[in-house]
Amino acid sequence: MPEPAELYDAIVTGNAKKAEEVTKAALEANVNPTELLGKYMIPAMDEVGKRFECNEYFVPELLIAARAMKTALALLTPKLAEAGAKAAGRVVIGTVQGDLHDIGKNLVASMLEGAGFKVVDLGVDVPAQKFVEAAKEQEGSIVAMSALLTTTMTQMRSVLQALEAAGLRRKTKVMIGGAPITQQYCDEIGADGYSDNASGAVALARRLVGVA
Amino acid sequence: MAIAGLTLIGETINDSVPSTRKLFEAGDLAGIVELARFQDEKGAAYIDVNVGARPPEFMADVVRRIQEVTAKPLSIDTPDPAIAKAGLAAYDPARAGGRKPLLNSISPLRVGMFDLLSVQPFRPILLISERVEDGRSRPCQTAEQTYQAATFLLAEAQRAGLEPDDCILDPGIAPIGSDTEGNLKRLIGAMEMLHNDPKFARVHRSVGLSNFTVQLPSKRADGSPVKGPLENAFLTKAMPLGLDMIIGSVKRVYETLPPEHPAMQCLEDCLRLGGFEAILRVREFYR
Ligand code: B12
Repeated sequence: MPEPAELYDAIVTGNAKKAEEVTKAALEANVNPTELLGKYMIPAMDEVGKRFECNEYFVPELLIAARAMKTALALLTPKLAEAGAKAAGRVVIGTVQGDLHDIGKNLVASMLEGAGFKVVDLGVDVPAQKFVEAAKEQEGSIVAMSALLTTTMTQMRSVLQALEAAGLRRKTKVMIGGAPITQQYCDEIGADGYSDNASGAVALARRLVGVA
Repeated sequence: MAIAGLTLIGETINDSVPSTRKLFEAGDLAGIVELARFQDEKGAAYIDVNVGARPPEFMADVVRRIQEVTAKPLSIDTPDPAIAKAGLAAYDPARAGGRKPLLNSISPLRVGMFDLLSVQPFRPILLISERVEDGRSRPCQTAEQTYQAATFLLAEAQRAGLEPDDCILDPGIAPIGSDTEGNLKRLIGAMEMLHNDPKFARVHRSVGLSNFTVQLPSKRADGSPVKGPLENAFLTKAMPLGLDMIIGSVKRVYETLPPEHPAMQCLEDCLRLGGFEAILRVREFYR
């Protein structure tokens, strides 16, 4: 039988098949799913993020690792729910109106899921009102927006204004990202945080929900 | 440098290039003009000009300053009609030997930009990676949708009085390192369809080639380069299908590759495999 600890390597190296095998075996052997997640899976994704930040890993490795993570997570999710495990937090994510770029957004969503967040993905070309509705439905969520075009990044301000107008701004943390976004822009429009990469996005989300 | 039959649009004057953005932010127009001069000298046929979200007058100013040092025609690069208008109005064809500028780009949602032909005749880059559905832009997910977008935009261009030879189709290239959704397959499939349809015979094709390899490491495990060979593999595949222009770098050595070249094999495998298997194959190429 594979050892649960092998799950860490399977995720770091992006071996989805191995990740599935180990997770299945561990669950059959009644290993606590919360422990599996906290002890091996999340630290593995953290390691992947670190390697990315020091240019040891590149986007392909991130995608491959995120897939291995998702494979394991899919097996775990029902058990976690049974065990009444709480998600690290909730995130509503989307690419802003007029913008169809979603590779970065998807990667951020995967990494957040990997870190134990419950993620609702609104897709691309998301109008401000849709962000507001989702924030209302999923009260207490972080709203995460992605924009890759200088012509669409201005939509982020509209979403913040719409949240304000709906009386949700104070209950909702807002994080933003995408190639043209800067910390300066984040401060200017009054969002709660910015990151220029997917592992930074996880650290940021943890900070926003107060777990790091 | 470029291959015979391949027109190079020099890419560096673009707000999304960090070093160029710094020049814009510092108001260093002399630096911008130098980029134009350098690309001209190194063989660019056109100089792309993208000033990001800065005011239209700024685009106009940059166009005038660049035209003082180069006789190459420019490519006015913006999705914003007001910025495009200012750039086109400022452009002086006489300084480019009477040649028209390019307008990069018109998408199916922005056909109103053909009205700018009255400001200054131009050759449009027609963005066929998008289509309009219920009044909104949607990405083209199949070769067929991409081909439909091309048919639509070419008809619109002709209605606006343009000749097929004035038009350049851009099927939209996405990074090979994150292409889990078969974009490369869509693109090559669309190029094949366009190539087989006589109504596109005199129409040109262009891609922003550097976008193909963004987010990849610069070197393979053996120290040899990653990006140049993969871009060249794409050229080798796409030129026989009608690709005759690229937005790219004057510093890159563009050349066609023999079929047994590892980058060529990687490209063919990615096309065949698709999905995550393709990503794994790209990783295998550089690891
Ligand atoms: C792939 C791509 C496309 C694909 C998109 C496919 C898809 N499904 O997403 C296609 C071909 C369809 C496309 C179309 C267009 N594109 Co495009 N595209 C790109 C490209 C090459 C790569 C983007 C990418 O996926 N990167 C990989 C991911 C992993 O990185 P990322 O998105 O930056 O995300 C990371 C971070 O930013 C951050 N992040 C992202 N989102 C979020 C959100 C939060 C909350 C946080 C915290 C962090 C975060 O984390 C991510 C992971 O590390 C870029 C060039 C570039 N160098 O960025 C141009 C680029 C963004 N496109 C550009 C343009 C102009 C266009 C078009 C208008 C057409 C054209 N002429 O090329 C159309 C517009 C379509 C539309 N309406 O949106 C320009 C934008 C210029 C500008 N400054 O406005 C760029 C910069 C290219 C260029 N140099 O001109 N494009």
